[in-house]
Formats: sequence, C-alpha cells, structure tokens
Amino acid sequence: MAPAIIETNGLTRSYGDICALKPLDLQVPEGEWLSVMGHSGSGKSTFMNLVGGLDRPTAGSLKVGGEDLLMLSEDGLARFRREFVGIIFQQHHLVPYLTAVENVMLAQYFHSVPDEAEARSALERVGLGHRLKNRPGELSGGEQQRVCIARAIINSPKLLLGDEPTGNLDHKSTVMVMELLKELRAEERFTVIMVTHNQEVATWGDRTIYLDDGVLVREERMRS
Amino acid sequence: MQRRRWLLQLVLRALAHRKGRTALLLTVLAMASSLATALGIVSYSMEKRVAEEVRKYGANLIVIPESARLDVGSGGLNFGVVSEPAYLQQRQVEDALTKSGLKAERSYHLRGVLHWKDADLMVEGVNFADIRRLFPWWQLKGTWPMAGETVVGSDLATRLKLKAGDTLELVGKAQTVKLRISGIVSSGGEEDGLLFLALPELQQALGLDGQLTLVRLMVTAGGDSLKKSAFALQSLLPTAKVNEVRQTARTSEGLLAKVKLLMFMVTAVVLVSAGSSVAGTMSTTVLERGKEIGLMKAMGGTRWEVMLIFCGEAVVLGVLGGVAGYLFGTVISQFITKTVFSSSAELIPWFAGISLGVSLFLALLGSVGPMIAVFKLDPVRSLRGE
Repeated sequence: MAPAIIETNGLTRSYGDICALKPLDLQVPEGEWLSVMGHSGSGKSTFMNLVGGLDRPTAGSLKVGGEDLLMLSEDGLARFRREFVGIIFQQHHLVPYLTAVENVMLAQYFHSVPDEAEARSALERVGLGHRLKNRPGELSGGEQQRVCIARAIINSPKLLLGDEPTGNLDHKSTVMVMELLKELRAEERFTVIMVTHNQEVATWGDRTIYLDDGVLVREERMRS
Repeated sequence: MQRRRWLLQLVLRALAHRKGRTALLLTVLAMASSLATALGIVSYSMEKRVAEEVRKYGANLIVIPESARLDVGSGGLNFGVVSEPAYLQQRQVEDALTKSGLKAERSYHLRGVLHWKDADLMVEGVNFADIRRLFPWWQLKGTWPMAGETVVGSDLATRLKLKAGDTLELVGKAQTVKLRISGIVSSGGEEDGLLFLALPELQQALGLDGQLTLVRLMVTAGGDSLKKSAFALQSLLPTAKVNEVRQTARTSEGLLAKVKLLMFMVTAVVLVSAGSSVAGTMSTTVLERGKEIGLMKAMGGTRWEVMLIFCGEAVVLGVLGGVAGYLFGTVISQFITKTVFSSSAELIPWFAGISLGVSLFLALLGSVGPMIAVFKLDPVRSLRGE
C-alpha cells in the first residue's frame, strides 16, 4: 500500500457551538481517488477546506504530504496551497475579465512565473485549444469547468480537490469532465479528493466515505 | 512572462473591466489633483506678481546712524537731550551686508547742506544708477546726470527758478563744486525739495569721505523673513538703526497670505472629500470582488501578494489621475489668472510632481481600509459569497 498523503487524527472543526466536523481519523494513500459523500451540512466541504489548507481545524491533527498544517502560519498555508494543492470548484470561480489562458496563467503567477505556452498546453490537454482567448462569459458551463481543471493542474499539484465539480453540469458534460480527470490522474498520478452529492460521480473513485452530521458513518471501496 | 509585467496586465484588465467605477475614481482623483495644482499655480503666480509689485514700492529696510545723544543739565536741572549729526561708515555697512548674506538691492545716501548764493540748499548724494533701479517711479524732465551734473527736485526748482542747463556753484565745508543741471525730478515726496548729485562729489564737498546718512535696502523677502533680516543686520551694525519700512508692501503681503490660506483650506476640504469618495468606491469594489480575492488566496496567493494587486490598481489610478490633474489644473489656473488677475499664469512643470503626489496619496490613502479588508478576507467565506 502506498504511503499516506493525508493523515487525520481526531480532526475537528467547530463554528461556535456547532461542530461541523466531529473527530475524524482518516488516512488517504498517495494516488488514491477518494470520493466524499453526504447531504448538505454533513461536513464534506469542511473536510475538503481543512485538507486543502483553506481552513484551520479547532482540534486534532492534520498532516498532508508530511506537512503538519496546524503548525503553518497564514503565509505558510498559502505556500502549501500553491505548491501542493489544485482546486476545482462547483461554481468554477473564473476571473471574468481574464481570458481562458490568462485564468490559467493566474495560478502560475501565484505559484512561480506565468508561462503562456504552458498554459496553452494545459488548455489543449483539456480540449480547449480553440477557446484560449475566450472569456468565461463566452464559454459553456462544461468549458468553464475544463478551464478550472486546467488551472488546477497547471502547477502539477500532488493533491487535487474537487468541490462538487460536476454539480452544475448536465450528464454529458459530467461524464466528459470525469473522464478527463481520470486521464489526467493516470498521467499526473495526483491524489484526488472529490466531494459530491452524486452517487454516479462517486463511483469514479477508488473509495467513498460517507459523512453525516460531521461523522464518518460508512466507507466503501470501489471495484477497480 | 515576467511577474511584474503580468501584474501590470492583470491590474489594467481589472480596471478596464470596471469602466464605470474606474472612470469615477479617475474623475475624482483628477479633479482633486487638478484643483490642488490650479490653486498652487495661481498662488505661486500671485506671489511672484506681488513680489514684482512690492519691488515698485522701493526699499523695505533702511539703515540710519544712531545719533550721538548727550544729556544737558546739572544736578537736579535737566535741559533735555541734544543730538549731533552722526554718520554711517560705508565700508562698515558693506561688510555687514556681506557677512549677513542678505540678498538685497541697495542705495547709499548722504544728506547735507551746501551754500548757493545766500541760500542753504538741502542736497543729497546718491548713485544715480541705484536710484533708477530702486525708485522707478521718479519722473525726470531732462536727462539723468553724468559727472559734474545734478538733478533738482521740482519744488526746489520752482522756488529758485532753476531749469535744466543752468549751472550752479555750490559751496561746501571742504570744497566748492560746480554742477550743471541735467534735469528736474519729481517723486511726489520729500525728494521734490532736494538737489541731487553724485555721492562721491558730495562726500568730497562736505569733507565726509566714505560716510553716509542713510542706506536703503530692498530685501527680496517678506513677512517674518524681513523682520529676521532686519534683526540679523542690526546685530552686525551696533552703531546703526535698522528699520523695517512698513508700507503698502506689508498690506499686499498680508492680503496674499490670507488668500493663500483660503486656497489651502479650500484645497484641504476638497482633498478630504475626494479621499472619502475614493475610500467609499474602493470599499465597494473590494466587497464586489470578494470571490475573486478568495479565489486568489485559495490558489496560493499570500495576503501580501493579493493586496499588491489592489495596491497596483490604486497606483495606476493615482498616476493617471495625477497626470490628468496636472493638465486640467494648468488649464484651470490659466483661466483663473486671466479672469481674476488679467494676466496669464506660468507653466510650471514641477507642479506635475505635486499633482502626481496628491493623486497618489489620495488613491493610496483611500485604499487603506479596503486593503485591510483584502488582507483579512477569509478565502472559504468569501468563496461562499459571505
């Protein structure tokens, strides 16, 4: 079994009196595709934000790629995110005044140095070589999500986080995006944590964990 | 692509995307900096104009000898004080002026009495070149004197029936001088009752070589500086009295100071209003762009890097506003000086720096609050749109 890229022990996140994530012990091996399922408010996005270094736990320990995220400063967490993590959002969150290629270059800017050739190549890999100079408003939902994927993988992250990445897509676009992610994962060998409501989307992963009211209630390994 | 170039491109794209808001911010910054520039140029031009006017009023400092005073009396009887004529040493005055470093135009005067026929004439020895420069309002019928010539005050000429071309033989304590009248002078003041000749000639005639009764100075400074100049010179000339001439110049300078204060206060009010407007608009922009900021942080941008983008926007707006402000301000200053003072204002390139400074200061000051908000913004909450 591959070594764990994510290790949590008693990982907890509370907002005042509300406990969004109750003590969670979990290990995710390197290269695994983990689907996280649950209803709204079950704590799956909270888990993803913690693992991605976007939020801080209130208790427990969290190690990602050997890095103890609790020990990192604000700027340390920012460095962790840019060097280690790629995020795909449900709402895409593309910058409206930048073209597709510039949106990808923005991730390069925060990581190191913007390189247009590399950004073009990333968009070509996700099948958007003909939409480089289009702005988000000129792209369909599926195309916007593919720009988002290109932006997430441009810096070769070790960990790819998807927060309901197909939540706003129709079935055809969903399948296209999932196939694309599968191909990219095979090439890049990154670990995937995919938060979803959709049982069909969850089956693309190696393992699915089910959260309910902040508690891990079930775990299911998929047949390869 | 270099990071700096990319940053600039990002900033320009962001500004171009919000055309309306960018135009509003640019207008506010350009208006504020143009007003500061215009009032600054008008104030500067007025100051120069007043300084030129003040020059026409002549000397603003005079140096006179401290009279030798002698108490007359004995025991309980006191008959009062008598004073003897006293003189300034020309060399001493020149040395004091050099030491003080005072920038002043000067004229030396020696006043005395010469006999002509049976009359005593009050005469004054001067350097005519200095007189022409410092007392431009003197009106002369005839020509300015050369060696061996004199000019006579208009009242004295009328009283003694003198005219240009007459020759006078004037008797002094030490010498007699023979002078030809080259012109009749009129100043509207006490000069109209005097006869003027070259200073060295009078000094020789009276046997007072190198001695003076009065030095007039036109110091190119006003207000408190003039007082300080007088004080500095006084300390170097203990046997003389240095007096400030309080005349129209003082009134003009006082008025100018009040007008400048008024302009400064108007500018300050406008700048405060403009700063508030910039702060309000920038805050709204930051609120609207919460998700964008959250995204940048989620992608790994540090708080400083994200803030730098917004700071860059403020700097670009400040620079553009400053340039526009200088151009508008120059036009406005021309309009004001032509309308109010019937003269044209100078084109002063270094005011571009002031305009730029004002605009940049306002843009950055107005962005402080929004910048802090950018700095503190939580990426998770902002991506959720909270």
